[in-house]
This record gives sequence, C-alpha cells and structure tokens, in this order.
Amino acid sequence: MARRILPILAAFGAAALALVGVCGCSDLSELRDGAAAAAAHFRQAVQAQDWAAACEALAPASRDELEQNNKAPCPQALGGQELPDAGRARHTDVHGEAMAVFAQDTVFLAHFPSGWKVTAAGCQQQPGDRPYRCALKGR
Amino acid sequence: MGQAFAGRAEFNSQLAVDGLAQVGFWQYVSSSDFAVDVTENWQSEYLQFFLYITATVWLLQRGSPESKKMGTAGTEGDKDQRVGPHAGPDSPSWARATGWRQGLFSRSLGLVMGGIFVLSWLAQSITGVAAYNEQRLRDLQAPVDWSQYVVSADFWARTLQNWQSEFLAIASMAVLSIYLRQRGSPESKPVGTSHTATGIEGG
Repeated sequence: MARRILPILAAFGAAALALVGVCGCSDLSELRDGAAAAAAHFRQAVQAQDWAAACEALAPASRDELEQNNKAPCPQALGGQELPDAGRARHTDVHGEAMAVFAQDTVFLAHFPSGWKVTAAGCQQQPGDRPYRCALKGR
Repeated sequence: MGQAFAGRAEFNSQLAVDGLAQVGFWQYVSSSDFAVDVTENWQSEYLQFFLYITATVWLLQRGSPESKKMGTAGTEGDKDQRVGPHAGPDSPSWARATGWRQGLFSRSLGLVMGGIFVLSWLAQSITGVAAYNEQRLRDLQAPVDWSQYVVSADFWARTLQNWQSEFLAIASMAVLSIYLRQRGSPESKPVGTSHTATGIEGG
C-alpha cells in the first residue's frame, strides 16, 4: 500500500513545490533590490531637480498623464509638481508590482522590459483600505 | 491549455487598461494569477470526492444507486469488509494485518484524497495572496500578508464559489439518479429498476 501511495504523494509534493517556485520567489531579493534602486534613483533625481532623469524613470502611462494634466512636456510638468521630501528609504514590497516606502513618501513601481518604472509617487496612505492618494500617477 | 490562453488574454487586457507591460504565454502560465485559478479548482474537486467517499459511509439516500443499502450505515463489520481473519488469499496484505496497518489501510483512500485537498487549498492560499497583492499594488493599495489573506473576502469568494458548484452537482446527481437512468452507466440503476431500489448500480 505504502509503496503505491508514496509516489503519488511525492508527485503532489513536487507539484506544490513547483507552484511555489514558479511564483518567482527564487529571485525575489534581486527583484526587490531592483525596485528599491529604481525608486531611490527617481527620488534622487527629483531631489536634485534633474527633471529629465526623473522623467526617464516614469512608466509611460504615468508620464502621459502628467503631460496631459499639465499640458506641458514631462520635465517642465514634473518641475511644477509638489513632491515632498521622501526622507530615508524604509522597505520595499514586491508582488509582481512593487511598493517602495520612504519615511515621508510611498512610490509604486511596475516592471517593464526596460526595468522597473515608477507608476505613482507622492503617495500618502488613506484611512481604511482605500487606495493611497498620489500626487503623480497613471490613468 | 484553453484556460491558459483565455486567462492570459484576460490578464493582458487588464494590464493594458493600467498601461503596464503585457506578459507572454509562459510568463503567464508561471504566474500566481494562473496558479491561483488552477489550485482553487483542484482543492474543490478533491474536497468533493473526499466528502463523497467519507460521507457515504454514514449517509444513505433511499432509491439512489450511489447509496449503500438501507441499514448498512457506518463502517460495517470485519466480515463484510473482509479484514483481519476474514481476509481472503487475494486480499491486500495490510487488510489481513491487524492493528495500525489495517486501520491505516482502511482509511487510506479518504486520507490521501483529504490530504491532497488540504495541500491544494494551501497552495491556493499561497498563490492567491501573491495574485491578490499584485492586484492591490496595481490599485495603489498596500499588500497584505498570508494571515490577513486567509480571512479576506477574495480568498473565501474564490473558495466558496467553487464549493457551491461542487455541492450542487453532487446533490443533484444523488437525487436525479433516483428517477432517471443512463443505460449502461455504472453510475445509474439498470433502466428497468424501480425508483425505490437502493444500492443497485448497473455495471
């Protein structure tokens, strides 16, 4: 009996492990580091008022939205945005997309073929389970 | 396969709405979004068969070919089950054995089906929290951890929508098979058997 059931159990165990493996946990720390670096890079560019570099770090939809709302090219529009000082980086969560939390700012990122891009920034937590309110975001 | 193609198309249209990069076929098949859709169906199927196998030990349905005969509810005697001294020469060795081996073998089908159910439900919760958090981050919400997810509406909506369909299917099969027949099917009574006959399968 045991001889017949063990391979079945082993197969299901392997399948369960494979499912956990394919969710991308193996290179999670690499992804998290990449997202944290992209968020820090964006915040440093804003801090240094290097608007061209900051615009490069934005996701296409967020960049479009910013240009549409301000009726100006991205660097000029970003210069007119009020993005508070981010402060020290606290932690970064990656689940397909990413959220980088700074002392006074939260930045959301998505992964593109060209790497991590900022989808929303200047985000503040809202009471309850409501979405963060962001100074800059796509859509 | 069809589920993977349709699922990827739906996932990509959602990504397009949010202005995000599209995913390829293999990227989607290895994603938590696909995995949670697969595992939520697995767990409910295994739960269905586990409950069906174990509940029909005690629960009888008059007139159903799926039910044992009236008056045989329970685990029955050793003689009927051909275990221990009542085992025949062709019986599995663990049925002839006494003690824990007989006890384990006597419950092995339920244990394995129930075990697979628990494992796939666990896999659903793990892949589910990953897919749920991806959606939350896309909606600019903070991610939740596993302990918050297993009490969340998303987890129970996925779970219960599968359970209700399984239980409905089983209940309707038990009742319909009293009055309806499928000639030649082992799940049906022989066509000419009366509606009140219980525990006679075609076969």
